[in-house]
Amino acid sequence: MSLPRSQYDPRRVCVIPFNFESIPIFRKKRSLGVYVSGLLFGLAHWIFLDAAVLSAHAHPPPDAPYDTVPIHITFLDWIPGICSTLGLLIVNLVNKEQLIGEGGSFGSGEGGFVWRVRLFLFFGFALMAGGLAGSVCVLVLKYIVPQFDDYLYYGYANVAQNVLVMLSAIVLWIAQNTHDDDEYNYQLTL
Amino acid sequence: MAAGLKTVILLSFVLAIGFLLIILSCALWQNWLPLIVALTFVLAPLPNAIFSHCGNSDDFGSSDTNPAADFGRFLTSCVVITGFALPLVLAHAEVIHPTASAMSIVGGGLVYGTILAYSAVFKTDSEEF
Repeated sequence: MSLPRSQYDPRRVCVIPFNFESIPIFRKKRSLGVYVSGLLFGLAHWIFLDAAVLSAHAHPPPDAPYDTVPIHITFLDWIPGICSTLGLLIVNLVNKEQLIGEGGSFGSGEGGFVWRVRLFLFFGFALMAGGLAGSVCVLVLKYIVPQFDDYLYYGYANVAQNVLVMLSAIVLWIAQNTHDDDEYNYQLTL
Repeated sequence: MAAGLKTVILLSFVLAIGFLLIILSCALWQNWLPLIVALTFVLAPLPNAIFSHCGNSDDFGSSDTNPAADFGRFLTSCVVITGFALPLVLAHAEVIHPTASAMSIVGGGLVYGTILAYSAVFKTDSEEF
């Protein structure tokens, strides 16, 4: 007597009882991932632009209507976002298949090439991490330490922008390594 | 064909209501900035439409590993989120009235939904025949 053929891959550690493949939109994993990534990217920049527009239209505090607004968003606040965006561009311009195929099709003679790709990738990740660190730095040094409590939103928007750009890069990375309608290739290659 | 005709009429009504909401949100407060939302949502499917036609000459042949199409999708969703975020940002900065912002978001959503539904209906029709 033979066992019935299992409905799931027996190598899987966790069996999810809900079948995501039954929903049509989850079959287009790659497109969905790219859409979500673009959504996160747009959201990131709009959160920061919201703070920038708010800063440009800021009113003086209501108890002292003739004072000037003490702090504005300057070019300093834009630098972390620019770094993060450059990092996202660099990371996603690298052809990951060449990096993953390091041991296989690329022999030891191509070691210099893989090394350069990896350096490029490292540079991109460093830019993104630097952008995130820089935004936290701006939040602490420009808004928290001088106690501009009413204008903390500018700093938080900056941090949110960089976190979202990083999330967008991660989603885009995962999406680029998945394929639509391909049940054998659902494992994410990182 | 009658069902198709009904769909077209319904979609055109929804499109008209969407544009009506956007134009009302501008005209009621004499501030024509929310009109950018209509432009944004009309332009939103454009990158997808352009980039889906290019880059098919690679030897993979399948469209799902096409970087150009991916870039088009990325740009499309960026533009869509712009359409939703712009009125919110303008309302937050007190440039436009919050009601105008809500009206233009709903109107823009209707316009974009019409475009999506129209392309979906059109696509299934062309696959059937």
